[in-house]
Amino acid sequence: MAVDWRNFEPLLIPKIPNLHKIEVFEKHDGYKQLAKVLKEYTPEKVVDEVKAANIRGRGGAGFNAGLKWSFMPKPDGKPRYIAANGDESEPGTFKDRQIFEYNPHLFIEGATIAGFAMHIDAVYVYIRGEYKAWIDMMQKAIDDAYAKGYLGKNIMGSGYDMDMYVHSGAGAYICGEESSLMESLEGKRGYPRVKPPFPAQKGLWGRPTTINNIETLANVPLVIKNGADWYKAIGAESHPGPVLYGISGHVNKPGVYEYPTGMSINDLIYEVCGGMRGGKKVKAVIPGGSSTPPLRGDALEGVCMDADSLRTAGSMMGTAGMIIMDEDTDMVDVLWRISHFYHHESCGQCTPCRDGTGFLEKTLIKIRDGHGEMRDLDLLLDLCTQMEGRTICALADAAAWPVRYTVTRFREDFEKRVKNTVYALA
Amino acid sequence: MKETYEFNKEDLAEIEKIKAKYPDKKSPVMPVLWLAQEKFGHVEPAVQHLVAETLDIPAAHVYGVVSFYTQYYGERKGKFVFDVCTTLTCQLCGGYDILHHLENKLGIKAGETTEDGMFSIQSVECLGACGYAPMMQITNGVYCNNLTTEKVDSIVDGLKSGKMPEFEQIPFPQHQDEQKNSEG
Amino acid sequence: MPEIFIDNVRYEFEGKPLVLQFMLDQGLDPPFFCYHPSLSIPANCRQCYVEAGTPVMNRETNEWELDEKGERVIRFFPKLMTSCSLEASDGMVIKTQRTSELVERAQKDTLEFILVNHPLDCPICDQAGECPLQIQTYKYGPEGSRFEHKKVHKPKRIKLGPKVILDAERCINCTRCVRFTEEISKTEQLTIISRGDKNYPAVAPGTEFDDPYSLNTVDICPVGALTSSDFRFKARVWEMNQTPGVDVTNGKGCNIDVWTRDNLVMRITPRFNPAVNDHWMPDFGRDDITRLNENRISKPQVKLDGDSIKSSWSNAEMSMAEKLQEVKPEEILVIGSAFSSVEDNFVLNKHFSALGAKEAVFSPFIKEGSGDGFLIEDDQYPNTNGCRLLGLKELSPSELEASIKESGVKLVISLEDDLVGRGAVSAAAFEGKFFVYMGSNHNETSAAADLVIPISNSVEQSCSFVNTGGRIQRTVAAKETMYTNRKLNLEMSMGRLDRYGTKFDNWVSDRNRIDCMPAWEFLERLATLSDQQFGYQTTRDIIAEIASVNEKFSGVNYDRIDDELGVPLISNEQEAKSV
Repeated sequence: MAVDWRNFEPLLIPKIPNLHKIEVFEKHDGYKQLAKVLKEYTPEKVVDEVKAANIRGRGGAGFNAGLKWSFMPKPDGKPRYIAANGDESEPGTFKDRQIFEYNPHLFIEGATIAGFAMHIDAVYVYIRGEYKAWIDMMQKAIDDAYAKGYLGKNIMGSGYDMDMYVHSGAGAYICGEESSLMESLEGKRGYPRVKPPFPAQKGLWGRPTTINNIETLANVPLVIKNGADWYKAIGAESHPGPVLYGISGHVNKPGVYEYPTGMSINDLIYEVCGGMRGGKKVKAVIPGGSSTPPLRGDALEGVCMDADSLRTAGSMMGTAGMIIMDEDTDMVDVLWRISHFYHHESCGQCTPCRDGTGFLEKTLIKIRDGHGEMRDLDLLLDLCTQMEGRTICALADAAAWPVRYTVTRFREDFEKRVKNTVYALA
Repeated sequence: MKETYEFNKEDLAEIEKIKAKYPDKKSPVMPVLWLAQEKFGHVEPAVQHLVAETLDIPAAHVYGVVSFYTQYYGERKGKFVFDVCTTLTCQLCGGYDILHHLENKLGIKAGETTEDGMFSIQSVECLGACGYAPMMQITNGVYCNNLTTEKVDSIVDGLKSGKMPEFEQIPFPQHQDEQKNSEG
Repeated sequence: MPEIFIDNVRYEFEGKPLVLQFMLDQGLDPPFFCYHPSLSIPANCRQCYVEAGTPVMNRETNEWELDEKGERVIRFFPKLMTSCSLEASDGMVIKTQRTSELVERAQKDTLEFILVNHPLDCPICDQAGECPLQIQTYKYGPEGSRFEHKKVHKPKRIKLGPKVILDAERCINCTRCVRFTEEISKTEQLTIISRGDKNYPAVAPGTEFDDPYSLNTVDICPVGALTSSDFRFKARVWEMNQTPGVDVTNGKGCNIDVWTRDNLVMRITPRFNPAVNDHWMPDFGRDDITRLNENRISKPQVKLDGDSIKSSWSNAEMSMAEKLQEVKPEEILVIGSAFSSVEDNFVLNKHFSALGAKEAVFSPFIKEGSGDGFLIEDDQYPNTNGCRLLGLKELSPSELEASIKESGVKLVISLEDDLVGRGAVSAAAFEGKFFVYMGSNHNETSAAADLVIPISNSVEQSCSFVNTGGRIQRTVAAKETMYTNRKLNLEMSMGRLDRYGTKFDNWVSDRNRIDCMPAWEFLERLATLSDQQFGYQTTRDIIAEIASVNEKFSGVNYDRIDDELGVPLISNEQEAKSV
């Protein structure tokens, strides 16, 4: 079923000039949802509403946010935290920065509502260090919200206290992984933690913690304003809501676009982004950031950007950071660069990832430079099997999937580059 | 000659503010390292020891953190550091051409610093500006988007005369279309 | 009682054990690198994989669901589990590499990855022979390598501190060393630096790894990345004999293993004893090898015209016997030693009491404030409590000096204790007395003696000590003297060289055997001269006698000490001070 996207008006980043300013935001119903929640809702009701809306996490895993909130234990009077994940380091992803730039207060409002729902004492907004400019914007927005009493002690006279702090990363992809992000917030090397215990039991500083993506939290006020049923009617049935598609690569008009989930990839390329540069054919599409398996350009018909459709097509929604490649692209080069990225970003904690990512990259360099043999392709797939699901966090999977699916789906590119392992006699 | 580093009163006041945001001693290390790097231009071992003493945490811990995160300059870099993104989308859109152009222009390779200490070049991983590729970041600060060799040349020349490029707001496309429509 | 099935064998368990530790406790040999029972669990090596499943509980009947064959329905975890971090639960089913091909394959895979960047330099690596990586690669590793690329190069031969040297290329990033400094010694001097396959442990720039417990990181390093600068390249592990002992450099009495080759102590490592030192010991205890090997008194010495000259044993016995006849029993001062064993002190006291001398005295060596509340105590000597329990008279240094100086004292006999060197007594105090010193090393006290009897030290005989916690522990002879023989003394350990080498092989020599005997044995010989034989054959006989005559030692014997890792004689320290 095609989604009616042509008449869609952006909700997360509506076209209102200067919405990042708190006065403008207030004028357009800003912080009204927070007021409503604080006055009329119980925390349980907020959780139920969000759970019913089925906001699926926009950070990559696509888990129901309300359900995640419901895992938090009962309050015991000691601190509880939200870590808002704005690390946004997955190649192809550049969406959360649009919220920081164009509608930061929507996020603050959402995070505060989430805080109220889970009896949170403080929200730490983790933003990647490279986003210096956006960190400053976010800090300004938080300062303004404090000044107006939307954060801090006794928020809007409700008796609810909550703080919000910005924490700057400093260049580490792994810190987008939730437990690594907590380690980084605690001032440590970003090594993912062994689970269990899960963050809801033992998170930041050993206290119950929920980690949500920036965009996920920005969706919360929309649900409160219009109700779960309204929200569920937007976009794909099993994966509803507006979503920020970050589209990059060989298209005419790359950028971030807000549309409902479930849009067809072809619409996004040809209608939204104005088609391919130079009118070329699509060779490959990575639908949700570099770790999601690439789809072949000749197999895009009917594939839509939602969890179910992408699963059927053999990929994942991820962060909705789409990378479009044209027919001239050399998939060997592309795959080498992806592997280089994961090799560079592996934290080095678990053996299969630490040494496996390097093994993958070195084998791909060998193939790229024309020294590869046919058996190296089997070796690559073997190494993927040795890495997938064998580490503490999902970085090893993220490194292995692109290799597995690029080698299998674009095998002709690789076969062209390698020598035969078995040579004919004479 | 051994340089010594210390925090002045304002820095220490700022550090107190940072410490107030976190419930324990180790957690403020990242923001304090940022503060130190902004002040001194790097976080070489002497600065790491200063941070460790100021926060009363082990120096080894600070060293481990500095060496984990790529944005901390554990060694001195040039006055301006070009972090040229070459990951995936930037690779597809000519990030390596930009990198090589810079290398030729400045006569150094990625990872090196010019002799006069003005410029360093680094080939870095995705900076989260994929829609505006190829791009680079200057000294952990401003993003330069949609680069061409000409644009790179003018940025380098501008920096030589002390002109840092300004923050470039990229309009949200759906807002822009609307404007065009209304104009038309 | 809850049950767990490991490779189809049923075990019962109590509490909430971790599966890996539980398997180790059952004597199984799951492979692992990063896990250590006394440290936190990072689960980073990914070697201890198992398949794990739990039975399905029927919510309504509260009973296990059964399949058509009547067997429990087991729901397996979708991924392999690291057994180190997996808590056992009732009815859990575990498949290890013995029964699961998947696990076997995963362990091979992990080893292949570990070896990708690990130098294959076992022939020149100190860890070879006791290397978990080497052993596990033989047992579970892949046959060959498919890695045909350049390995990651990292710094080699870095001096992390005065005692520890790092070869970063060999490091497999298990983080045991870092966790040790964070969790056990608490100096936090080590960290892992960099990222990914460039990771390795390091100290902060400009600092050194001078942790007083630094060498424990060498012990727990599962590869040859951290090596001891003292022991490096000195001996291959399979050429040494490993003998249990007790650290005598401090009152704590850490349990140790004494590693000898050719009758030289090559290194000392901690031996696990949960009641005393867990898996650890301080570095200075390991430095004791110098004292055990070097500057030894070999053959008795007598002073002639101010010069100390070597003498025969019979001559030493005769001059001692003559001297004893010259003086009246009340003119003898017998000084026991908190540095010497329970057995030596007991026999010393018994021998001279029998002659009519007064009870032996001793003076403890306690440096107030030098302890750290962990494994280093203020008490510098290993047997202060032993002397107390034996009933020796405790004197302060000044009291001791005064008793030596008493005009009525003509003969002073002192058991190994460098009274002069440690500043308890001045050398001048012995002037005008006939001073007999029974010791194993030359020192300022032996220099002041008129007659020096060379005695065996704690690694040349089996003997026991009572530590500051009131626990009696014992050593086993590790090193031969001129009068002991590994092949005859069934307790001494036999290494490869002892078993297969002969006297004529060039790697076995008698050079390092000291001409000395245990103090009790010398006293026994002295007693023979005066027809007062005690009839001791070994220290076992002595401890048996002590146990029968001194109720504080009742029930103590070597077998019990061995089986129970020492026997507590005093329940707490307060009591220890008041005995």
